[in-house]
Amino acid sequence: MRFVLLMAAREMRASWQRLLFFFVCIAIGVGAIVAIRSVIQSVRNTFAGEARSLITADAIITSNQQLKPELVAKIDQRLQAAGAQSMRSIEIATMARAADRADGRARMVELRAVEHGFPYYGRMKLADDVPYDHALLKGFGVLVRPELLAQLDVKVGDPLSIGSQRFTIRGVIQSEPGRRLGAFSIGPRVFVDLADLEKTGLLQFGSRVASQRLLKVPEAAFDRLIVDLRADFANEFARVRSYKATEDDIGEDFTRAENYLSLVGLVIVILGGIGVSSVTRVFVQQKMKSIAVLKCVGARSSQLLAVYVAQVGVLGLAGSLLGVLLAEMAMRTIPSFLAGATPGVEMDYALTLPAVVQGLGIGFLVSLLFSLVPLLDVRHVKPSLLLRDEARSHRPDLTQIVVTLVVVAGLVGLTVWQAGSLRIGSLVAAGFAATAIALHIAGTLLLRAIKPLARSRSFALRHAVLQLSRPGSQMRIVLLAVGLGSFFIIGVRSLQENLVDQFAVRMTKDSPDMFLLDIQRDQVAAVEQAIAAHMDPGVTAPPLVPVLRARVVGVAGRDVNLENYEDVRGRGSLGREYTITYRDKLASNETVVAGQMWDPTPSEQPEVSIEQFINESFKINIGDTVRFDILGRVIAAKVTSVRSVEWSSSRAGGFMFLFRPGVIEKAPHSFIGFLRGPRDLDARARLQAALVAAAPNVSVIDGREIIDAITSVIDNVTLAVTVVGTLVVVSGLMILIGAVAMTKFRRVYEAAIFKTLGATRRLIATVLVLEYGLLGILAGGIGAGGAIGLTWAISKYALEIPFTPLIGVSTAGVAITTLLVAAIGVISSWEVLQRKPLATLRAE
Amino acid sequence: MFLGDSLTAGLGLASDRSFPSLIEKKLKEKGLEYEVVNAGVSGDTSAGGVRRLDWSLEGDVRVLIVALGANDGLRGLSTKEMKKNLAAVLDRARERKVPVILAGMEAPPNYGAEYTRDFRNVYSELAEEYKVRFIPFLLQGVAGIASLNQGDGIHPNIRGAEIVADLVWKELEPVLRRPT
Repeated sequence: MRFVLLMAAREMRASWQRLLFFFVCIAIGVGAIVAIRSVIQSVRNTFAGEARSLITADAIITSNQQLKPELVAKIDQRLQAAGAQSMRSIEIATMARAADRADGRARMVELRAVEHGFPYYGRMKLADDVPYDHALLKGFGVLVRPELLAQLDVKVGDPLSIGSQRFTIRGVIQSEPGRRLGAFSIGPRVFVDLADLEKTGLLQFGSRVASQRLLKVPEAAFDRLIVDLRADFANEFARVRSYKATEDDIGEDFTRAENYLSLVGLVIVILGGIGVSSVTRVFVQQKMKSIAVLKCVGARSSQLLAVYVAQVGVLGLAGSLLGVLLAEMAMRTIPSFLAGATPGVEMDYALTLPAVVQGLGIGFLVSLLFSLVPLLDVRHVKPSLLLRDEARSHRPDLTQIVVTLVVVAGLVGLTVWQAGSLRIGSLVAAGFAATAIALHIAGTLLLRAIKPLARSRSFALRHAVLQLSRPGSQMRIVLLAVGLGSFFIIGVRSLQENLVDQFAVRMTKDSPDMFLLDIQRDQVAAVEQAIAAHMDPGVTAPPLVPVLRARVVGVAGRDVNLENYEDVRGRGSLGREYTITYRDKLASNETVVAGQMWDPTPSEQPEVSIEQFINESFKINIGDTVRFDILGRVIAAKVTSVRSVEWSSSRAGGFMFLFRPGVIEKAPHSFIGFLRGPRDLDARARLQAALVAAAPNVSVIDGREIIDAITSVIDNVTLAVTVVGTLVVVSGLMILIGAVAMTKFRRVYEAAIFKTLGATRRLIATVLVLEYGLLGILAGGIGAGGAIGLTWAISKYALEIPFTPLIGVSTAGVAITTLLVAAIGVISSWEVLQRKPLATLRAE
Repeated sequence: MFLGDSLTAGLGLASDRSFPSLIEKKLKEKGLEYEVVNAGVSGDTSAGGVRRLDWSLEGDVRVLIVALGANDGLRGLSTKEMKKNLAAVLDRARERKVPVILAGMEAPPNYGAEYTRDFRNVYSELAEEYKVRFIPFLLQGVAGIASLNQGDGIHPNIRGAEIVADLVWKELEPVLRRPT
């Protein structure tokens, strides 16, 4: 034992310069794993926080009807069993009146009544930095949105009557957590105390009330409770929304981002592993000579094993610890890089324990795996053989297999630990295996392909080729490391771009945030005038959209013939009431996929353009005649084109049936409007007032607050995904640099011999450039190809987003890989080129 | 001719389950030869109703059932405007000598007693002024009862629609049986 430790210590002291290099390489690999997994975890926490603040609770039970007492009792029992806290909240549309004004101005408001402690998550922000406190509401206090102040011409401190009670305006709401997504309100928000609402007389039989129960549940009991509650509500008029719910677009974005993070987490573990493994491999290869010598002088196999395993173990562990330190330093610098980039985004950058444990485990296990297994060979090898031969093939024995299996199992366990999606895991594993095999085959093919070059006239080329194809060359290792590395880096980068694109599509800065309903034809001019007068400078509102309701009552066509409405109803959703419109041209989110769009002149013959969905689902084709019941009159229109509508573009919405102007506009109909209202709140209030004056029946729905909330959430998710993606690219590159640079030790001896035989530095450098350049092109090319495949598969099957191959990223990936490999090959061997050959030969 | 909104159109129901369709069935059963035209437009307010009246009144309309206002109430629109619009509908029907049944609506109590009262009064005052047949509340016995409504708590389900049809039928049948 003493010998083992002593020997290990001596060896390490003797070659500490070289060891330092190994050490740093391991540290970089481990550091990358620890840092990125930590960031991922904090990003996850941010997501969970955002998702919770979207509903202000862990979960929320909503109902628009009175729940049966026995159901309420059951819920209470379940909550108690789960150790959950809960509070009630009620939303109700009502009228608020300026109590002391002679004209008794009234305005529809969306009232929310809450209890003490609201909200569990998120923050209620009031104007002028007034801190929110439930005491503000107590005793008939009310908090209002600024629009209401403008609309009723009141200010903070004024009385407001709601129902039969007088309230006092105690503050102005700047932003509110948990504004329901997708549910646009018809009036500004006001907040009151729940106990006060009960005294207003508004809650009585027939009132339209949405009651909610906000839950705060211990994490351990959470999933179970939600499942149970959902089962309880199966046949009731109540719903449970969990912050983990994926029922809306935002939920989907969270899920996608989460999946992406799992994927990236997996990738960085593999990349880090590759880095560490290539380091240990070279280390052990280098030690083979010393081992043989020691065996000659009588060292036992077990002693030798112990010496080197101890060295590798110390090295692996110390390197891993240094890695953790590097990660910690990285975490401290990230926030300063991002400072000011996105105001309002709060992320917590700190190492997390599981990430540290995982990083250390992987650093230690990988270095053990890649040293122990080849070292086990020592037991069989005769010293003379060991001295003579560098590259032996030896059939692995049982011990080796068992050791390999144990260590691999440990690694797999570590990787799967905190695994996100199994699906992504398997896709990555498949991609990994496929790329590894492709690289292996490509390596063999490459050797064959370049064999003729070995007889080339150019000395440099000849030697570059020979270097690659000689037994025991580093070609396969580099090919594997660099190929897989570029595969993952390019893959992660393209996925990130596809994902962020997807987020951006839905919410652009000029998405409409005001919706006008029920504009009558004779009011169009007045409404358009009112809008034009109040828009922000430079912004023009899109024209109002005419809408009609219609039912399909018959189809006479090539593939289908439906005589009457009874027949149509048999065709599922074709029988529903459709909102239709007319227009003389396509909207920006439409393309004609079959037939031809009409020219902009009106036609006495009714013509209709159908959406692709109608064409595909109901087999209605161009040339068919569809009969529509429009307000009791039947209009038969000929299908002249099939359109595809980009539904996710929220600017213009879309219509299943679009009519050519000429006939249909004679039917009575109303108009709707989508517009991007003025940014300034007072200007918005003035626009609303002008609209009501121009057309009193028009309802204005203001989605600004909700859109702002969505935009900020999406900004956060995008930032998080970008930070993680960039970290992966940077650390992946560092790992690869390490792996390639490792191969320099094999160069030292050759270079010395070449020099002794009269080769110039320049010649040796050329050989190196050619050799590494060849490797780089090959590895980068295969990696990029694999990455495109991986991105495609993951986009399609795991993230469910449209896939756009990013040629730019891929080409850049190949170019950068090639340059990088060649440059690192030469630069890391710089020392080799400089060194006097004699010194090298002696040392070796 | 039923001039109405989503309650008339039968939103959420198969179109032969809307209350006008149920009345059409009754007509057939009783051997009364009338055709039912459903001019119910989901989401329509009284303002929309008055503007599409001419399109709908084209043809030989024997009875006009006016069932508008529910959306005015849901959106808390001005009761003055609603009264003006409904009066215009009744004027037009009077010009054409079409007998009218006016179906009233209640605003949900959410908006406070004042609004609910004003809203209710619009119908009773109009019925008084125009001397038309009057159903004070179209959803009498249906509104607010969970088992008679769809999940949204607004639109009647099949059983609810049957109750509405019975209520309307009581007013409609005498008009139809009156010799013309």
